[in-house]
Amino acid sequence: MSSPFSINGGACVAMVGKDCVAIACDLRLGLQALTVSNNFPKVFQYGENVFLGLTGLATDVSTVSDLFRYKVNMYRLREERHIAPRTFANLVSSSLYERRFGPYFVSPVVAGLDPTTGAPFICGFDSIGCIDFAKDFIVSGTATEQLFGMCESLWEPDMGPDALFETISQSLLNAVDRDALSGWGAHVYIIEKDKVTKRLLKGRQD
Amino acid sequence: MADRYSFSLTTFSPSGKLVQIEYALNAVNQGVTALGIKATNGIVLATEKKSSSPLADPSSLAKISLITPNIGMVYSGMGPDYRVLVDRARKVSHTGYKRIYNEYPPTRILVQDVARVMQEATQSGGVRPYGVSLLVAGWDEGVLPEEELEKAKAEKAAAGEGKEGEGGGGGGTGGVLKGGPMLYQVDPSGSYFPWKATAIGKSATTAKTFLEKRYTEGLELEDAVHIALLTLKETIEGEMNGETIEIGIVGAPADHLLGVEGVEGAVGPRFRKLTPQEIEDYLTNL
Amino acid sequence: MEVLLGITGKDFTLIAASKAAMRGATILKVSDDKTRQLNKHTLMAFSGEAGDTVQFAEYIQANAQLYSMRNETDLSPSALANFVRGELASSLRSRKPYNVNLLLGGVDPITHKPSLYWLDYLASLASVPYAAHGYAQYYCLSLLDKHHQPDISLERGMELLRLCADELKRRLPIDFKGLVVKAVTKDGIEVMPFDEDEVVKGT
Repeated sequence: MSSPFSINGGACVAMVGKDCVAIACDLRLGLQALTVSNNFPKVFQYGENVFLGLTGLATDVSTVSDLFRYKVNMYRLREERHIAPRTFANLVSSSLYERRFGPYFVSPVVAGLDPTTGAPFICGFDSIGCIDFAKDFIVSGTATEQLFGMCESLWEPDMGPDALFETISQSLLNAVDRDALSGWGAHVYIIEKDKVTKRLLKGRQD
Repeated sequence: MADRYSFSLTTFSPSGKLVQIEYALNAVNQGVTALGIKATNGIVLATEKKSSSPLADPSSLAKISLITPNIGMVYSGMGPDYRVLVDRARKVSHTGYKRIYNEYPPTRILVQDVARVMQEATQSGGVRPYGVSLLVAGWDEGVLPEEELEKAKAEKAAAGEGKEGEGGGGGGTGGVLKGGPMLYQVDPSGSYFPWKATAIGKSATTAKTFLEKRYTEGLELEDAVHIALLTLKETIEGEMNGETIEIGIVGAPADHLLGVEGVEGAVGPRFRKLTPQEIEDYLTNL
Repeated sequence: MEVLLGITGKDFTLIAASKAAMRGATILKVSDDKTRQLNKHTLMAFSGEAGDTVQFAEYIQANAQLYSMRNETDLSPSALANFVRGELASSLRSRKPYNVNLLLGGVDPITHKPSLYWLDYLASLASVPYAAHGYAQYYCLSLLDKHHQPDISLERGMELLRLCADELKRRLPIDFKGLVVKAVTKDGIEVMPFDEDEVVKGT
């Protein structure tokens, strides 16, 4: 109960579709069972179609998201190009492993489209940077068990953007409703070749 | 008066010159000529391998070095300084890039890193500038020149609507996805320049005049090697053969150098050095 | 048993803090002010470990004032909130972290938009319409969930504060000696008269 990963609560999920990917998170920020805020997004954008979801200890969610904003901005200025999802994933991995013996208590998720091939890319990490590449979906946060169940039953290959939105939304919403530490609304991003759609889901406010 | 500014540390002279850097350039201009030519599908680096004695074993001497699988380097000037820079370039391409992003640096980034090392030697205490100029040749992943041309053509055809130039593959230089062959020169001051073709060292001026005459747009790598040898021939002092000429090329992935076969996704190095036999073959066709 | 409360409204942010200075079960002072003014439009309230609170708050206050003197302009509430978070976050992973919880209330000097930031000792930062720290959270957040509206007037804000104070007095096992209440508006920071003995009628 007092694991740093479950003090503040929160959930995040990423999914692959046909020529598109989706990433979504809940909006709750809590202290154990008490909800402090219902507007604490956990998905961050770094460049045209690279997204990072961060669940875990809220302070580290902020610290790590700020750290990568700095690192990615420096990358873009240095290289005069946007960072690719796979490159970003490796940056996340090496940055987290730098803190091997005093880690950030976060479980990151990366989602995006390869800028050259347009191929979907998703992956997840543990708190010290071990990458988990996946072809279907990645889940993280206090509702992982519920999300695994939802995704395992709803996800199918080659979904279009609309079907993908429906699938990821239902997966997240129904997973967090069975988790006391997540929920209170959601952000959903659908990433296509040259379009990113962000939707706000109200969700149950209890 | 000038003597006061010509000792070990680089200090501005009243006229605004850093004479130590100029002396370093003098060292470069006494060095053996090296040249580089960029083609559409690759780059060639070439230089003369001079040995001071007939007893020296030429096969143990190398002036063109691999930095990353896709980037190679040659120098003119002081050999020992060059080896230090090669070590630093190889090291920084890992510590500053591959260990962070799990991929090798693009040519410009590597060039900037090496240029920083050289610049720092012009502003730090207790050191002297590096007595070398470098030619760095590499291949970057991204939109290749031909594709870029095609895209530009397609965009011209679809023109009319004022489309926003988003950071896609888009326009010419430094574009987000720009790829293909890259050739840079780095000087002791730490300044660097991109070239289509250039030469450094003793006969740089002669060689550059020759290259200006011979260089054409849309050059193929094979032609570039040919021109490189012709240029060297103009300036070379000794005999030209596989032992006395050194050539490095950036071209198609050399999968035979991989050491393994049938590994999915494995791509061979684009930079490789030509063997004495290969050089002989080019020379007989000259 | 320290109480920190914060409420935003249409054009103001209210910050309230308990007046009792406690050490163990002993009350040392009944007129403690657990707030510091950072600049003309920003007020910070703090609770937590005895020495840490004032030390940290005055360190932040000094830095905010230094910025204002150097640049002849004030940092916005959001800029200050993120600055405080950064300081608290680096403290968290130091040898001896500050054990301080904060509420940071302000009104943007340019847009006049009121804002309230909730920060705990872990440096979790959240922008919220109303907030509390300590046990007050359990009693007051539910009250404010029911009665708070984003566009309320200052009078209504004070009414809600009295409602909270009433509930706290009723439920907290130790007397917290009433509240200091300060209002941040576009005109600056003002101490509000607050009579904790006033009888609260159903709202």
